[in-house]
Amino acid sequence: MAEVVLKDVVKNYGSLYAVNNVSFHVNDGEFVALVGPSGCGKTTTLNLIAGLIPMSGGDIVIGERVVTDLDPKDRDIAMVFQNYALYPQKTVFNNLAFPLQMRKRPRDEIERKVKEAARILDITHLLERRPRELSGGQQQRVALGRALVRDPAVFLMDEPLSNLDAKLRVQMRSEIKRFHHNLNATVVYVTHDQLEAVTMADKMAVMHGGVLQQYDSPANVFADPVNTFVASFVGSPAMSLINVEVASHGTNALLRGPDGWELPLDARNARKALAASTNKVVLGARHSTLKLHKSAVLGAAPGKVYTVEPTGDITFAQVFVGDDVVNISLDPSVHIEPDDKVWIEFDQGRLHLFDAKTTNALKAA
Amino acid sequence: MSAIDISRRPVHRRPVDWWRWAGRIALVLLMIFTVVPMAWMFLTSIKSQFAALQYPPQWWPAEPTLQNYWRLVDPSDSIGQEFLRYFWNSFYVSLLTTILGVAVAVPAAYAFSRFRFPGRTLLFFGVLVRNMFPAVVFLMPLFLLMRWLGLVNTHGSLILTYLTFGLPLSIWLLKGFFDNIPIQLEQAARIDGATRFQAFLLIVMPLSTPGIIATSIFSFIGAWNEYVYAYTFLSKQESMTLPVGIQRFFTEFATDWPGLMAATFLMSVPVVVLFLILQKYFVRALTEGAVKH
Repeated sequence: MAEVVLKDVVKNYGSLYAVNNVSFHVNDGEFVALVGPSGCGKTTTLNLIAGLIPMSGGDIVIGERVVTDLDPKDRDIAMVFQNYALYPQKTVFNNLAFPLQMRKRPRDEIERKVKEAARILDITHLLERRPRELSGGQQQRVALGRALVRDPAVFLMDEPLSNLDAKLRVQMRSEIKRFHHNLNATVVYVTHDQLEAVTMADKMAVMHGGVLQQYDSPANVFADPVNTFVASFVGSPAMSLINVEVASHGTNALLRGPDGWELPLDARNARKALAASTNKVVLGARHSTLKLHKSAVLGAAPGKVYTVEPTGDITFAQVFVGDDVVNISLDPSVHIEPDDKVWIEFDQGRLHLFDAKTTNALKAA
Repeated sequence: MSAIDISRRPVHRRPVDWWRWAGRIALVLLMIFTVVPMAWMFLTSIKSQFAALQYPPQWWPAEPTLQNYWRLVDPSDSIGQEFLRYFWNSFYVSLLTTILGVAVAVPAAYAFSRFRFPGRTLLFFGVLVRNMFPAVVFLMPLFLLMRWLGLVNTHGSLILTYLTFGLPLSIWLLKGFFDNIPIQLEQAARIDGATRFQAFLLIVMPLSTPGIIATSIFSFIGAWNEYVYAYTFLSKQESMTLPVGIQRFFTEFATDWPGLMAATFLMSVPVVVLFLILQKYFVRALTEGAVKH
């Protein structure tokens, strides 16, 4: 096992920068999720780590070695692909054996290691089959097995769960997590599903437009998103963002919403709001921190219910405040209907303020 | 409702599909059109010279004989010697054309399929433009070229020519095959410890075997059947290929219809055998990529 370091990694196709100056440090044994919407550069970043495409700039270190100019085969990595990329003409046994055969391991060692990997992943009974005779979940296990069998320094996984159905995905998610735990492996995992990243990873690297937005533990990313993109990408339902203006009276400040509602800020939030580059800021709040009232309350934003989605233990509602949609979670006993007029109260201790111009989170000066 | 329809589908009666029947009839007619000459060729080849020229014709030979075939494959007979030499020449030229063609087409098609390089599209269509012109157009220019190269009356001239005809189609066919092999398979192989070339050799090549086989058949049959170029480039009797050689039979033994038919029949054997053995690959190659797997 080993650490992985990316230093100012760049990949551009002409003027199009797929990966722009990305740097992060994956510690030995850490599970890092590269997450972002499609086209954000996460898969390109993974392919750069794997050495499948040449880099335009920067350096990558795996373990003690700079691998920037090394072939994939010399980087001591294993990769699990989205479509599994099992060799269709080979049996499961030979699929698992291939990485060892390529490294000219003796026959009895290959046999032993393949059997061992098959036992761990519970695919021993499938060894003589061919990939097309397997179910999606079984193919997934074989792909994991092929990565596992060689005991590589780093595991790279490119959306390994996205071809599975919803139920199997949840099951394989915990299995991969267990797999990481048991092997204490260094894993770099690409996904577009923030839930996978949050549930599985020790750290997540949120990417957008080829640029690394935030690199931190899921808890910290969730609690302190650095900008409105991260805020709206991580968490389900997404953090609600409301465009408001700041009005100041000395060191006091209040937020004024589009319909004229006003929220006087406490001292800490006031300092943040006043640090904004213009008087326009974005107010962010997670659904669980919001309180819904059916009559006007001081500092609460008036809104109109758009949809109500009962899920059993929690009811989610979408409420329009001006032109912005606010997600809110409610106790199922609360009864509201679409088009009801409601008031939303914010928890000053847990609200987020972003600069509307730069989209960055505002810090208390 | 026809009787067949009722007996086949006692429960579910459907109206007769006239289009389907029209199609079947058309196919039967087409089959008769192609099979009858071949059948007549074979029947003539097992007749005696006298029986072959009878009028009204003997539809079925009264005294079938394989004499004509024995004569052709008998190395001690002068006609046999000649025929076997032509046969060998044809085989040699076709085989070499096929081997060289595949050896060039496989890497070329792989490059067109996998790599992005300047002029790729232009080059690819340039390769195909060659096929837009009838072969005869190139007859004189190629002859002059071959004379300049000193290749006239050598098999090399034919092999070179056949390559220029066969390669575009081979490259096009194989590219389709390579396009259908997910690039992740090669990436996986490269991560698993293979070099780029090993990934191609160990993973891509086995998966594209049907395409390579189909391409080889195309190439072989094309070279085997070619007449005009062989007739133009080769004037020495000992280097002639079968299509041209049989022409000599025709003039020298103009009256020997059974002999000519036997030679023609033997000439078609390799092609038919190849086709029968490998036809499943052939069909797969032509329809590859037509539907999603």
